[in-house]
Amino acid sequence: MAVQPTGRASTQRADNTMISRTRWIFLVCGIAAFILLLGRLGYLMIFKQDYYEQQAIQQTVVRQNVLALRGTILDSNGKILAKSATKDTVILSPADIVKNDWDLDGIARVLADNLADYGVTYEQVMSLAQDQDSYYKIVARKVDRSDTEPIREYKNANKGCNGIVLSPDSKRYYPYGDLAAHVLGYVGIDNDGLAGIESQYDNVLAGGMGRVTRLSDKSSIGMLNIKYEDYTKETAGADVKVTLDANIQYYLEKNLKQAVEDYDILNGAAAIAMDPHTGAIKGMVSLGNFDPNDYQALTEDTEARLEETIEDGVVEEEDEEGNPVKTRKYTDKEIEELRTDAMFRQWRNKALSDTYEPGSTFKIITLAMALEEGVVSEDTHFFCGGSTEVLGRTTPLNCWRTAGHGDQTLTQAVQHSCNVAFVDIGQRVGARTFYRYCDAFGFLNLTQDADATLTARTGVDLAGESGSIWWSQNTFFNPENLSQLASASFGQTFTVTPLQMITAISACVNGGYLMKPYVVQEITDASGRIVESNEPTVVRQVVSEETSAEVRKILEQVVSDPVDGTGHNAYVAGYRIGGKTGTSEKVAQDAAGGPKEYIVSFAGVAPADDPRLVILVLLDTPSSETGMYISGGQMGAPTVAGMFADILPYLGVEPQYTAAEKQFMDQVVPNITGMTVEEATNLLAQRGFNVRVLGEGGRVTRQLPGTGAMIATGSAVLLYTDVEPSEDLEEMPDLSYLTYRDARDVLAGMGLFVTTSSSVTSPETQSVLSQNIPEGTEVEHGTVVKVTLVTTDSSMLGQY
Amino acid sequence: MPTRKRSSGSFGMQLKNLIPGWQAASRLRGGFDITLLMLVLILLSLGLLMVLSSSYPRAYSQALASESGSALDYFNHQLMFAIAGVVIMYAASWVPMSFYRQSNRLVYGFAAVMLLLVLVMGTAENNARRWISLGPLSFQPSEITKLAIILVFADLIAKYRARMETIQYGVIPFAIALGIPIVLLFFEPHISCILIISLIGLTMMVIGGMPRRYFFIGLGIVAALGTLAFFVSTHVHVRILAWLFPSQYADDDITYQVRESLMAIGSGGLTGLGPGEGRQKYLYLPESHNDYIFSIVCEELGLIGAAAIILLLALMLLRCTQITLHTQDRFSFLVAAGITAHFGLQTLLNIAVVTNSLPCTGVSLPFFSYGGTALLMQLLEMGILLSISREAPLTRAG
Repeated sequence: MAVQPTGRASTQRADNTMISRTRWIFLVCGIAAFILLLGRLGYLMIFKQDYYEQQAIQQTVVRQNVLALRGTILDSNGKILAKSATKDTVILSPADIVKNDWDLDGIARVLADNLADYGVTYEQVMSLAQDQDSYYKIVARKVDRSDTEPIREYKNANKGCNGIVLSPDSKRYYPYGDLAAHVLGYVGIDNDGLAGIESQYDNVLAGGMGRVTRLSDKSSIGMLNIKYEDYTKETAGADVKVTLDANIQYYLEKNLKQAVEDYDILNGAAAIAMDPHTGAIKGMVSLGNFDPNDYQALTEDTEARLEETIEDGVVEEEDEEGNPVKTRKYTDKEIEELRTDAMFRQWRNKALSDTYEPGSTFKIITLAMALEEGVVSEDTHFFCGGSTEVLGRTTPLNCWRTAGHGDQTLTQAVQHSCNVAFVDIGQRVGARTFYRYCDAFGFLNLTQDADATLTARTGVDLAGESGSIWWSQNTFFNPENLSQLASASFGQTFTVTPLQMITAISACVNGGYLMKPYVVQEITDASGRIVESNEPTVVRQVVSEETSAEVRKILEQVVSDPVDGTGHNAYVAGYRIGGKTGTSEKVAQDAAGGPKEYIVSFAGVAPADDPRLVILVLLDTPSSETGMYISGGQMGAPTVAGMFADILPYLGVEPQYTAAEKQFMDQVVPNITGMTVEEATNLLAQRGFNVRVLGEGGRVTRQLPGTGAMIATGSAVLLYTDVEPSEDLEEMPDLSYLTYRDARDVLAGMGLFVTTSSSVTSPETQSVLSQNIPEGTEVEHGTVVKVTLVTTDSSMLGQY
Repeated sequence: MPTRKRSSGSFGMQLKNLIPGWQAASRLRGGFDITLLMLVLILLSLGLLMVLSSSYPRAYSQALASESGSALDYFNHQLMFAIAGVVIMYAASWVPMSFYRQSNRLVYGFAAVMLLLVLVMGTAENNARRWISLGPLSFQPSEITKLAIILVFADLIAKYRARMETIQYGVIPFAIALGIPIVLLFFEPHISCILIISLIGLTMMVIGGMPRRYFFIGLGIVAALGTLAFFVSTHVHVRILAWLFPSQYADDDITYQVRESLMAIGSGGLTGLGPGEGRQKYLYLPESHNDYIFSIVCEELGLIGAAAIILLLALMLLRCTQITLHTQDRFSFLVAAGITAHFGLQTLLNIAVVTNSLPCTGVSLPFFSYGGTALLMQLLEMGILLSISREAPLTRAG
């Protein structure tokens, strides 16, 4: 270490200029600069503190919503009709991928591999990743947890890779598909209830969104997560138990779908089943319906019909040179509109949202009020000459049976559904009293304004209920013109909803009490506590117990009487069924000059002595091309019969067969294989069967049909002794309009058998309406074909 | 103020006897200035704590991403350099000033070669080539350049004190000495370092007797160069415009950085969020452990804490100024003035930048900002100042 001689250093000394300049620069300028900066800091930290701290907090605080699981919808027996499951929304964050240099190729591959079922492709992910400023690109929604599990693992294996975000979401499931679709409704992509109970009880089902407010580092890698500031727990949605019974609902839908198919119903159908004593809706169908699991999809039928319409619109013409030219009637936009219209029609709950002219089913109401007022009794006689003059009408009012019904008792008038008699009954009641009862039955609300069109709703707890439309009081009460009252007496010239109709009919048969209809029985919160329980609500007593009993008795006669009862097709062997038919012409269509269109309906009550269920069926516009006679008695009644035949045994109502019924009931074929021919013949004879023996042996080696088959009584069971049944196939014949007995005999000749879902009361007059194996199908020997029967007494054909 | 009497029987003396060469050296000169040493050590400790607080979120996130290292990586690195730096400081305090004077050209030459090397084999970061990697360590030649300029300028001024008014001696040698590193730094680019060395050089020349007219001419040249840089270098251009018109550059990284810095400072209020409790260091404020560490100081310690630290820095600078003023030797005087200017300029510029009082430029805060080379050089410079304080103890000067 060299040391400088001190002498040389002393020759270079700091002088006064240096010292004074140093003082000036360091002390004066330096201190001044420090003071200025301190002032600046004071300004920023004291005066601007709020301004900057707000900004800092805003960027560090993250608020996250925690989704609450939507409540379950259960039927009255606790069966799950709608349930939510937790799902994941998969989100791509291209900005984070760029910033943190995540392996985009790997991300795209893991997403494409695991989300193929959701239509995600590698290329699609790569194209989403193009938007490098975005933190939120939805890759797929409502992905099953099992499918996101590998993605979660990928994230964990890659340092929590925040290029992929999995955000919890939920998906709604309807385990029974389209069952009760209109009542249940559906939820949209954002879990909002958009129709039915899902919409009406949305706030109850949805529960409360939870919220986490916390600090986060900028990269969201969880460095500040431990510092929770606020946490609100989500509250799971409450469960809603409805009055519907999935079984009853299923039977309604099954039979209604069959009817739509059998009668070629063009404009949809509806059915409601109600417990008349409580007003609880046990089933409600509207066809065509939809599957709430995929509520925007058209049903196959609707889709096919739409295709047909579009196809029909294509006109093939020839141009000037004779080349075929196809002209489409509908543009793409119009086709899209047709599709949208079809979707909206599917969503529409006919039973609740459409009004119709009830026609003759309304005679139940007219009957009840006339009995209650005492203006008619069982002893009252009516004469029908086929038409009657009505004050205010220019033409006489015709009965459906232009030949007239002649002299009739009250019961017969109802059995015949005689319009002339009901015009008489209506006039005996009088317009003002008639309207007072309509008000009491919930069809209209009488107002102060006598010129106002009248309306009312039942107030059911379902979204989308329409109101009825009635003449103003001034029109209806006009003493110079009784035509409105005359038509109203048999259910024409006003419209009501099917729900109003069944509610009023229930009041007529339950002892006279108008009940408020309801679908929600009970609401239970997530902890199992009942938060709401709907008890049956009596709106008012409209008619007396006695009147109600009288009405029930007469309605039973409509169905049970095979001679006079226009509703006999609703008869179910072993059960006491009451009911009334209805056929109403669609006025709008008539006015437009088009072909006549009808709404046929039937209201049934069972058991008639102690009603447990009322069913109303409505078939809108049966096709005129089937050749079938369009009326409530021919189409509505058998449909309701099918429903009661399914539902009454389910409800545990014991059948009581009469001797005549037993005689004609289909029987079960016993096991006779191995018996001697004589033993077999005796056993079968006891059950009401004949036999046809094939072969020369003494013992039965084969039998057709097999053990347990249900076939028409009197059928000839085939006994094979030493030969095998022929392998040849038979062609199924057309059985339409053969009587049940003839059908049995025709089939017997071919080694085939028949059975029926209808009640057999007179095999010689009931004829085949439809068969479950179409004509021309190749079938094996011993096949049993199932048919539905109707009574086709020509004197009974009419629009009643 | 510790007494400078040599009480041979004291415990301190017995300790000193154990250190080889102490006796010989202490016979030559007095002990170094304990006040400055204490201020340096206090500031260094506070700086280390702030590096720990401001760097761990970044270190943690990087450790998470690279699956190696820990949240203490930056702190450990800085601590290592601080320990090495204190050793170097102590050693440097024993080196006589004549040695520094003799080796000024060597240091300058080394710095120049390194600046050249960094352009050839340096590692780039954020579009600037400023580091030379040596295995796991990397160092920044621009930091050495600052000391080189101080030593060379002090030597030249000491030699040409009487001829500072001439162009030949008072301007040209300085222009060359400063020009070479400026050109090399321009290509890195490292504009803030050019700014710092120019200002240190200018300050030393003014103190060294530069005529007033040269000062204004020099100021004019700096202004001209600045204007040129504004138009030639987009780097400079953008920063100045972003400072003047922040709303038009709202999406720019620089504007973002300044905005985040102000949020941190403003959040501090009077008493701060508390040590370690800052929010902005969670990756919101870039360079929170480095050039913007003072923003975190403000955020966590509040105006009171920040003012206390500024006061400590000011006291240190005041002590440096006192040491300068009590030095008889012209070279030592100029070295002390240069080092004081270096620390003073960096401190003022850094605080001015983080408070958005000046356009954004990368100036680190002495003893606080993260950076090994810078810390080593700062402590080496403090060692030189301590060495000067030995030769001219404050108590003896009158």
